[in-house]
Formats: sequence, structure tokens, C-alpha cells
Amino acid sequence: MARSTPTHCPYCSLQCGITVDVGAHRPTVDAQPDFPTNLGGLCAKGWTAADLLDHPDRLRTPLVRADPGDRRSPLRPASWAEALGRVAAAITGSQDAHGRDSVGCFGGGGLTNEKAYLLGKFARVALRTSAIDYNGRFCMSSAATAANRAFGIDRGLPFPLADVARAEAVLVVGGNPAETLPPAMRFFTDGLAAGARHVVVDPRATPTARAATLHLQPTPGTDLALANGLLHLAIRHGYLDAGYIAARTTGFEAVRAVANSYWPDRVERITGVPETALRQAIGILGTAGSALILTARGAEQHSNGTDTAHGYINLALALGLPGRPASGYGTITGQGNGQGGREHGQKADQLPGYRKLADPVARAHVAAVWGIDPAELPAPGPSAYELLDRLGTPGGVRVLLVIGSNPVVSAPNARHVLRRLRGLDFLAVSDIFRSETAAEADVVFPTAQWAEEDGTMTNLEGRVLRRRRALRPPDGVWDDLTLLTALADRLGRGKYFCADPEQVFDELCRASAGGPADYAGISYPRIEAERGVFWPCPGPGHPGTPRLFTEAFGTPDGRARFVPVEHREPAEPPDGEYPHVLTTGRVLRQYQSGTQTRRVPALTEGTEPTAELHPDLARRHGIGGGDLIELRTRRGTARFRAAVTDTVRPDTIFAPFHWGGQASVNALTSPALDPKSGMPAFKACAVAVRRLRTDEVDSPIRTDEPDPSEER
Amino acid sequence: MRQRLVVVGNGMAGARTVEEILRRGGAEQFETTVFGAEPYGNYNRILLSGVLAGAEDEAGIFLNGLPWYAENGVTLRAGIRVTSIDRAARQVRAADGSATGYDKLIIATGSRPFVPDIAGAREPRRGFHQGVFCFRTIDDTRRMVRYARDHEHVAVVGGGLLGLEAARGLQAHGLRVTVLHAAGHLMNQQLDAQAGGILRRSVEQLGIAVELNARTAAILGTDAVTGVRLTGGRDLPCDMVVIAAGVRPDVELAAASGLPVGCGVLVDDQLRAAADVYAVGECAEHRGRVYGVVAPLWEQARVLADHITGADPAAAYTGSRVATKLKVAGVDVSSMGVVAPAGDDEFVVYAEPGRGVYKSAVIRAGRLVGATLVGDVTRSAFLVQAFDRDVPLPADRIDLFFDRGDGGGAALDPAQLADDAQICNCNGVSKGTLAQAVGDGANTVTAVMERTRAGKGCGSCKSLVGEIVGWAAGGAATVDPSDSWYVPGIPLAKPELMAAIRERRLTSVSAVFAALAPDGAEDAKSKMGLASLLRMMWPNDYVDERDARFINDRVHANIQRDGTFSVVPQLKGGCTTPAELRRIADVAEKYQVPLVKLTGGQRIDLLGVRKEDLPGVWADLGLPSGHAYAKSFRTVKTCVGADFCRYGVGDSTALGIAIESRFQGLEGPAKMKLAVSGCPRNCAESYVKDVGVVAVDGGRWEIYVGGAAGAHVRQGDLLATVDSPDAVLTLTGRFLQFYRENANWLERTYAFVPRLGIERLRAVLVDDSDGMAARLDAAVAESVAAYRDPWLEGGRPATDGQFRPSLPLIDLPLVPAR
Repeated sequence: MARSTPTHCPYCSLQCGITVDVGAHRPTVDAQPDFPTNLGGLCAKGWTAADLLDHPDRLRTPLVRADPGDRRSPLRPASWAEALGRVAAAITGSQDAHGRDSVGCFGGGGLTNEKAYLLGKFARVALRTSAIDYNGRFCMSSAATAANRAFGIDRGLPFPLADVARAEAVLVVGGNPAETLPPAMRFFTDGLAAGARHVVVDPRATPTARAATLHLQPTPGTDLALANGLLHLAIRHGYLDAGYIAARTTGFEAVRAVANSYWPDRVERITGVPETALRQAIGILGTAGSALILTARGAEQHSNGTDTAHGYINLALALGLPGRPASGYGTITGQGNGQGGREHGQKADQLPGYRKLADPVARAHVAAVWGIDPAELPAPGPSAYELLDRLGTPGGVRVLLVIGSNPVVSAPNARHVLRRLRGLDFLAVSDIFRSETAAEADVVFPTAQWAEEDGTMTNLEGRVLRRRRALRPPDGVWDDLTLLTALADRLGRGKYFCADPEQVFDELCRASAGGPADYAGISYPRIEAERGVFWPCPGPGHPGTPRLFTEAFGTPDGRARFVPVEHREPAEPPDGEYPHVLTTGRVLRQYQSGTQTRRVPALTEGTEPTAELHPDLARRHGIGGGDLIELRTRRGTARFRAAVTDTVRPDTIFAPFHWGGQASVNALTSPALDPKSGMPAFKACAVAVRRLRTDEVDSPIRTDEPDPSEER
Repeated sequence: MRQRLVVVGNGMAGARTVEEILRRGGAEQFETTVFGAEPYGNYNRILLSGVLAGAEDEAGIFLNGLPWYAENGVTLRAGIRVTSIDRAARQVRAADGSATGYDKLIIATGSRPFVPDIAGAREPRRGFHQGVFCFRTIDDTRRMVRYARDHEHVAVVGGGLLGLEAARGLQAHGLRVTVLHAAGHLMNQQLDAQAGGILRRSVEQLGIAVELNARTAAILGTDAVTGVRLTGGRDLPCDMVVIAAGVRPDVELAAASGLPVGCGVLVDDQLRAAADVYAVGECAEHRGRVYGVVAPLWEQARVLADHITGADPAAAYTGSRVATKLKVAGVDVSSMGVVAPAGDDEFVVYAEPGRGVYKSAVIRAGRLVGATLVGDVTRSAFLVQAFDRDVPLPADRIDLFFDRGDGGGAALDPAQLADDAQICNCNGVSKGTLAQAVGDGANTVTAVMERTRAGKGCGSCKSLVGEIVGWAAGGAATVDPSDSWYVPGIPLAKPELMAAIRERRLTSVSAVFAALAPDGAEDAKSKMGLASLLRMMWPNDYVDERDARFINDRVHANIQRDGTFSVVPQLKGGCTTPAELRRIADVAEKYQVPLVKLTGGQRIDLLGVRKEDLPGVWADLGLPSGHAYAKSFRTVKTCVGADFCRYGVGDSTALGIAIESRFQGLEGPAKMKLAVSGCPRNCAESYVKDVGVVAVDGGRWEIYVGGAAGAHVRQGDLLATVDSPDAVLTLTGRFLQFYRENANWLERTYAFVPRLGIERLRAVLVDDSDGMAARLDAAVAESVAAYRDPWLEGGRPATDGQFRPSLPLIDLPLVPAR
């Protein structure tokens, strides 16, 4: 008998409303026709999401090394008891010999709120280690740091996505929703059809940029200069909202002083954006009755990503946008639970409810919910790349548990991270497939997939949604809540843990009560009845908060902060040896490190990892479309199929990061970190390119395993 | 113990260096004193030409005002000139007699104007002739502006950048301007002769006279300037002279203190002139070059700050690439690198003297080493980056100068597209797949979309999908029936939809979805259109479901930019009474209404009312709703009519009030604005209203329909001329009802009337060609009878949260756009 379960797509932060239909045949996915964020639309990834449920590659049993202690020996199936036993022994042994912080956890922005919360609690209560962070550090940390400082609250979009269609002007900086969140484009298209004017800032003429009224195509890494240049023009043209600045903000004068020196021809020279286009852009924003400014990874994944986000927040505040109808600043969250994942304690410095781990009041509150002494809680630990960079080194983590992440592909300077992982005493990984990272592990746990579990996800708007279970996981596959609870039990801390998603959620809500991301009034029945609840929602009678900042900001005095920020050259500017700029990103048919989407034939058929370069650049290096090319940076080399297109700047090469092996673009990226957020500079480093000679070409590019040149 | 840092010079280089030092935590290392010859903070000298022209406010050019220095712990000695440096004693002496010790010294004295040898320009003891000016400082600028007020003809000595800026600026003050330039073409430092010639023509077209090869020998006139004498002996009459013949590094102080000086103060890659003494900016000479534009100065400031604070001990300045982009005397000029080719250089030139456009580029070994743009600088962004960063150049050199785009915008011809051309990116659907689906029997766009999932992602390819389906269906173009649907969620055109609703007696939006939507699915985008239609069809029996309404309709007021509402009470025909005005005034005071304004429709608008105050406002007003927020009959604008007006031929006021009384609040597919004018002078603007009535001689009335004067402007079409006010009422009602029944959702009359054609409307409504006039009259009468003032809800909210302050949790249906 067929059964249809409403739930949400397993991929990006849009969390499209879908149904999973389970009957006599394979499960299928359909779009919920009227869910407010996708309005019946789904992209190719969503339509094929069910293909992974019965995928032959799926892990169905724990795996352990045939020879314990030798990670070059083959992985063999094992019982849960044996696998858990090995992990527990490794943890206990390491902590006895090297201290609590010698064991660490690495989480993911795709985990449900419940899993993210429980992983954080596991680290602090079961392991009592300070070493925990997650891959969201590589996504949202810059915008989050800036929003927390400027607004006192970090909710990606502090307004419903539908406001995009209502705004008379929209500025998107370094975002390409047409390929990364395709159904969200309906709101952009509706807005344009209603006469809105959109400006897109991107070094590539992406489908999003081509649909806009105006496309600004700056040199990667110069978005901050562009923001200050726009503010300069806003001041000169009298577009400031002086009443708003006076009533709702602090710190404008210092920002005005900085903006004074970003006159248009200086900004034109830094960014490559013509002065006329700058003037057009500020005219569009400055004269609109309502306007949104949105940033995404293109602006944020830089060593000055936090400052860049501040630059655009400054512009939004100067124009008087945040808190006004169909207006404001937002960041477009990427990962499926990139929002909820950064709120509930898997971040190095954070406790549930977006509380600060260093804050004694926050520690006391959460410790009380957990039934422990606040003194037992560890201190804040290192950020993601710092944690990975120190693996297996003195003072670093020696035993690592990875859940829902594939850093061998997704971390910057990925081959270095791989070497560090190989330096660990012990690595345990929970995943649905044998990912590049799982392939390195001592123990691999199989885990349940999206359609096999209950939980909640918080989408890019801060709307808390229900992920519903449509079918049981295969025999022998547990979910991560059960895994963490069982592991805690073996470490003698089982009494603090529970594997039931709804109970975990209720505990999460209590732990978050009174914090910035307050879920106290949210419950499973309520989410189901209301099709999602916007946080903050401090009590059962509270309607939730679709729009933040209408009256006040989350800062102590209720005012938003202007923060003066200056343009800096990227951490690694091009030079004679590495003369071009490499920027990385996403393509429509793949998701993140590709662990899932690379296994869907409908998404990968006939595609190879492809790097885009401009015809003028290609000609200089004798490269034709379809040639195999090698990209080289100070970190390493990778190979791609060349796509020669004038949609990319002539000084810039674009490559997606969804592949590993020979096509691992993160083998090239720079680990230069933003000092404020710990965000790596994924979006700009210096690169050299050459066409591979025929005798060097072994087609197709191998993406399944690390580069063979990489010695173990 | 902090070191003592003394900076001599508070211009763009000196002050910037201090900023960069502070940014590196220099406040903890240094106790900083800055000497500035001018009694101000530091300002952007580039903008002085804007100040001279009156285009720029003086206050707006300051980068750091006087308070900034104190706030950052910097001692500013503004207006105090340093007279000597005692390097042995490590101190500087200033004009005020003070001596200031230093551990590190930065010289940033900048440039001074170069004054050629012109007799009478300057007396050694008396300074400049009172009618002769230089153009360097804010005080120079002020003096020129003051002097320009009562003088008529200025000679500007120098046809370079600064001279042309001065010329244009003074022209803005009403002076006649002659530029005297010693070289053979203008801006000879930056431009070649051809570009200079084009610039000259552009400058002359602005009314500025230009004399080339003109060397100025003497100033004529003793107390007042009467003219200048050129070296050839020719005299040019004028009463003001500006000398803008370039600048020279100001090295007097450095030279006197024994520092190495060439053209400027000689510095190494750390900007060091001697131990613990540095020079930065226009006064510094580095590797044989002196820079006069801002970007290199700031690069020097950064290196010097890195070095002096130890932030980057390896910091080194290795020289700058110089590019300038300015509006010179109203003409855009961009110039970078070398001006002319040498040796094997490739030289690309585009010249269009008629339009004042000139573009050239010098390419050396495939790299851009120089470029000049005059008149059209749109490509300077690309060129300056190619120049700075060695960006690969286009093979087609014309692309250096013109952004030819990709020829986009041309419509795609489905037949021309390759079979594998991707049409839907989101779901990876090619033209071939779409054609295949048509071949397999999918015969509508919707069916093809369902089958292939094309258009089911972001939705932006729908129109292209439609064209391809049409093409694939082989000329027998499949019309997508959904195009004719009244709302997207119900697959019926308006007449069929109305028939089905009537037949099944569907009186609520949810009932319509249940009965007529595919699978009974509710569609958020369809709700508002359906609600409007149902209210029109069932004036008495309509079952209101509030989530089908737009916020304006839910609270009966117009939401404003800031989330407050505007309240417009009904004032029929724009007429009111002293008592009503008093009540309105009382309400405005009681609820602290921020803005009271007369509307274009002759009403009084109370703007900025908080949502929770709406019921109280309505109750206290005691006036019915003016319907200024709804898709409905809005207002009847009237002129004063026959009683008071000398020209009036008909009582427009009375008729307007009668029309409004009858049709008030009548809902429709879009808003309806009416007017009645008492004579063809048309003071109430009847020709541009949805329905406009005009009194004409003989007691007759003309009725115009389909006019508009908003974003869209259209003069209405004459529907009929009738004999009595009663006939106006009848025909107006009949037209409105016909419009309500036949217009698409959100279709204003200005689109509806031309769509059907005025002849057709006349036939149906005036001549009753279809025999429906009586039914239309009865239908509109029923709606009129069912009218109820929505503001009565104020005392009895329809829902608990109707007037709660926060916006509701449910996602608001959007007003779809057509």
C-alpha cells in the first residue's frame, strides 16, 4: 500500500518541501505543490534524491580494519559491538595517556538540529573535550561573525525568502541561487517581473547574474572595496537615511570617514567594475522603496570575509534597510542545516541556542539542563582548519570522530589535511557511503539517510522544519543519535544521553531557552501544524518571528553597529609564477563534496570535473575547449577538463570543489584564515595553468581516490 | 616608553601614513605629532576642482577633520610651518618658535605650484599680484571663488590637468575663460597630439577658448590685472589670471637640512632618506621617479607603515604603475602608462573626432603598457586592470575599446537551436528531450513540463519551453490553455470559471479549490483573485476566508514602507464639512499621526497609523472607509461644478457624490478611479480615469472609459454621450459590472478597454447588442445593495489577531504581477 510522507529535500538550505512516496516500487520524490520556499519547484538534485536510498554503494554494516592499528590493511565488515568497542577503547586510551583534548569531533552543516546538538553535548559531556568544530566553519562563519557583531543575532535571512519577490531592489554579492538553490529563483524572477531591479556581483556571468538588471564582475577578493565604493557614492548622492542612522545605529561617523577614500575611479581600479556600473548600482539601491542586500560564499570565503560582510551590512544600515518591510541584509546559507547547525553547539566556541561557551551565565544555564556541574564544561577550542591542521601533532587531536563531513575533499589545502588525518592515532567516521574521508578511517559507521530519520532542520530563513521518517533504514544501519548514545554509554556517560529525536529536540529547546536562537516555544506538533516556525520563539504562545529587527536589534542597546572596514589585497595575490586568480564554487548538479550527488547517475552522466577559463586566457596558454589542463598553486596540482567561456573574467579561473582525487580543487586552495571567523580563503588564491601533454593524459580524470602521486 | 614620531606635512600622503601606522597598532609604539602648513584637518585635494566649480561641498572633501587627531591620540600642529630640521639634535623647529624632538621623522611636504617666470606675477616682497592665483590649497580655492564674483575674464596659464580643471571651475562662476598653453597640444603629459586635439575641440565646444604654443611673458596692469602679454608680443585682455603650470616637489626643508635631494627627496625601498628620516608622497623621489597621483602615495604610506611599525619588516616599495582617470573640464579622460609606442610596440588607435572620442593602447610583447581614453572611458575599468595585473588581452583588439557583449537580446529561434541545447538548466532538459515529449503525445506546455520536469526548477525557462513545444508541434502551435486561465491554480478561463462557480454555487475560495482545482489542491497565488471574483459574484452569500486576503484587505488600510498604515476616510466627491474636518484633526492629534496629506483623489490621508490603532482611529473618525487600499472602486474626483464656477455647465459635484454613493467599495479585478468634470476644461481630469464624466453644453454628459495617468498614461475612449445624470449612473454601473465580469485579475481598464475595443463595448453596453444590459444592471444593483462599510469591523475584529501589531506567521499571498 502506497504511503506519501511530507518532508524536505536532503540537500541545500532551501529545504524544499517534498513528499517521499513509498509503495511497491522504489521510493520516489515529488514536490509539495505549495510549500512556501519552493512553490512546487525542485532542481535535478531534489528530483533524484531518492536514488541514494537503495544505492548499491551504501554502507550497511560497520567496517573495521582487518589489522587493528594498520590503516593500510583492508576494511572488513564488523558487528556494532566490535566497532563501538574499538572506538571506545581508542578514546579511553588516548584520554588516559594524552588528556581529554586529545580526542576531538568534527561535525557537519547537514546534520539535523538534534544530531548537531547531541554531537556538541557528546563532546562536552561524554568526552569533555574542547576539540570540536564542524564544516560549517568553511561556509557561514564570516557572515555569522559579522551579523553577530552588527545585529547581535545571526539568522541568515532575518526575513522570509518571499520578501525577495516584494523588494523593489535586490543586491546579491557572490551568490548564484540559479544554480545553488534553483527553486528560490522563482522569487527573484517574480520580483523582476513585477518591475524590481536586481544587481548581481560575481566574477562570472552566472545564470543568476545574466537574469539580473545589472551584473558587476569584480576581481575575486575585491568585494569589500566595492561595498565601500557603493557607500561612498550613496553618501555623495544623498541616499543615506539619516533618521534611521540616528535612531537605530551607532558608529556611522567612523564608517563615513573610511568611505570617503573609496572614490569611484579608485574602486574601479581595484575591482575592475566600471564607474558607470557602480553609479547605476547605487542608483538602483538608493532610489528603491525597499531593497535587500544579500551576500553569499563568493563574498565571504576570503581571508577578509568577515570585513566584507560588514561592508555590505554598513551599506544596508546606511540606506536604512534592516528591519524595514521587504528590506534588509541577509546571507544566503548553503548547507541543508547550515543555519541550525551553527546554533546548537557543534561550533568550537558555542553552546546550544547560539550561546557563548565562554559566558559563565550560558555555561550555568546549559549545565543545569544537562545535569552537570558548569565547571565540567571545557573551554572554547580551535576552529575547524586549526583543529585539522594540528591533528596528530603534539598538543593536537590524536583520535577524531567525524560525522556528516568529508574534509578530505571539502577542507582547504586538502592534501595537507589528508596527511594530517593520516597522522592520527585513530579515526572514526560515520557516513552513508565510503567517502574519501571514510576510506582513511579505522572504523566506519553506516548511518541512516534523510528519509529514514525524524528530526528538524532550520532553513536559510530561520524557519524550523520537520524532517520526517518515510521508511526504515536497512537492517544493520543505525542513526547517529543512536550511535552517539551507545558510544556515551560505553564511556560511562550514558545516563546523560537519549536517542529519541523528539526528546532530544525538546531538550535542545530547553537548552536554547533565553539564548539568541531561542527554540523554547517550538515542538514537533507545532512545526507540523504551522508548516514551520521561525525562531526566536521563546514560548508556546509566541507566534515565532518571521521578521527580525522591526523594532530593535539583538545588541544590548538595541542598535545596530556600523563597523569600519578597509580593503586589503587577497592573502595571496597573483605574481609572475602564479599569474592568475583561482576561485572555487558549485555547479547545479552536484552538492558539496559530492559524496551523495556523484553517486547519482542521472546527475553525473557524461560530466567531468571542469574548470572555466576565458578565451583570452586560454589563448595565451594554447588551451582549447575540452583540453585537459593542470592547475598549480603553492599547495599542489589538480587536473580538469577546460571549458573555454567568456562568462568568466580573463584573469580568473573557476573550478568547482565537488570532486576529490586528481580533480580536488581544494588540494589547491589557500588555508589563509580570516582572523575573525576562521574562514579559509577558498575564493581567491594565485594559480598557474598549463595544458597537459598527450603523454601526461590518462583520461578520464580519476576522482575516486587521492592522487596516486600522494605518498602515504 | 613610546618613541616620538614627527610627521611634517598633513596632506594626503602624510595623513594617510599616520592612518596606516595607527591601523598597525602604532598608537602604542609612537607618540605622534603632525605639522600641517594649512590650518585644517586633511582633505582630498582631488576634489578641490569640484569645490571650485561649486559641485562639491567644502565639508564633504575632508578625510579626517580636526577632532579625528585628538580621538586617535595624535597631536596636530595645524597651520604651523616647520622651518628647519636639526638632525644632530633630532628635532624640528617651527614658525611659532617651538622645537619638537623626534626619534623618527617623516617628511611629507608634498608639492608646491610651479610658477614660470612671468613678469609682474609675483614681487619678492609683496607676493602675488592681487589678481593672480595659484590652485593648490583650499584657501587658494576660496580666494579664487571670492575674486571670481566681480571679475569677468580669466586667463588660465597652463593647459594640463590642473589648468583645465581651473578653467572649467571658473567658467561655472560665469567667467569668460581663455586657456594659455605653452605646448602644442593640451595635456601633453598624458596625451598624444591627436588625443590632445580631440580634447581641445571638446573643451572649445564648452565655450572655453584655448591658445596653444602660447607662452605668457607678463601680467599687465598694476593694481588690477588688465591682461597678459604673450612671448610673441601679443596682448590678451583679462582681469584675472590663474597659474596652473604644474607642480614641483617641495624639498626646500629637506635640502636645507642636508638630506639627499634630486628632483625630490631621494629615498630607498623603505622610503628612507637617512637614518630614522623618511620621505613619502609627492616630495619623495624613488628610483628616479616622483609621483603626483594618489594611488602611489598610498602604496608608499602602506610600505612605510609596515616598515616603521615592524608589522612587516620585509616591506619594500618597488614603484607604482601610474594611471589617472578624471573628468577634465567636463570631458572624461583616462590615461595610464606610456603615451606613445616605441620600437616593436603594437599601437592600437580609435579616433572619432566628431564625437570627441579617442582611444589608444600601447601593447608590448602581448601586454598592455599604456592606454589613453578621451570622451568615452567606459572601458577604463578593464584596461586599468589589464595594465595593473597583466590580464590577457583580447585577440580582436577592438575589444580593448568596446564591450561588444555577446549579442544577447536577440530572440532565440527554436528551429535554430541544436538538439542538445540545454533549455532547462535546473533539470537538465535539452531541446531534443522536449521535442521527444511532444512526439510522445504531450500536447500542451504543461504536459511537457510535467513529463520532462523542464521549468520545474527555478521556472525561468518557461517561455522558451513554450516556444519549443510550439515549434515541435509543427506549426499547429499548441496554445497553452493555462495562459487563458483566470488564476493559475484553476484550469478555467474566466467565463467558464464563473459558469462553473454559478452552476455549483461555490461561495468560498476553499470550495472553489475543492471542486475545480486539479486534485482539489489549494494554490496560494490564486486565492486573492478568486476571493475578488467570488465577492463580485455572490455579493450576499460569499463566505469570507481571511487567509485569502492581502494584508491591505485584511486590515482595510494601505500598508506603508515602514509597516504602518495609511487611513483615508470617505469624503464623497472630495467634499467635506467643518465638523468632519474637526474630527479628522482630533484623530490626527490623538493618535499622533505623523503625516496628514491631501491625496491626488481629493481625499485626506492619515499616514503612519499603527496597526493596533486602526479600530480606534475608525471609531473616532465616525466616517466610512474611503477604500484607498483595495482592488475596488476608489474615488470620484470632482470639480466645483455649476454652482460656484463661472464656466460650469453641469453640476459635477452632485453627480460625483451620487456616483460614489452608489458604487462605493464595489470590488473588481483592479482598482477603479473615477472623475466628474463640470465642463470640457476638465479640471477633475476625467479623460485619464477608469471612468470619467464630462458635462457638455445642452445638459449632456460624456462618459470616457479606460483612461489612466499613473505609471501608464492613456486617454480614455468616449463610450457614450447621455442626456441626464441618471443615465450616467446607469451606464457607469453597466460598464463597471461588465468590466468586473470580463477583465482578468489585476487588469486595469486601460488594458481591458483596448483589449476588447471601444466599438465592442459600445455595442454591448450602449446598444445592448448581446441583450445582457438588463442582467448587468441587476447584477451591479445586487452588489450595491450588499455593500457594507468594512471599517465597522473595527469594533468587532474578524479574527483575534486582525489588528495585532506583528505581521502574521503565515506567508502572505503576494499580489501577482501581470
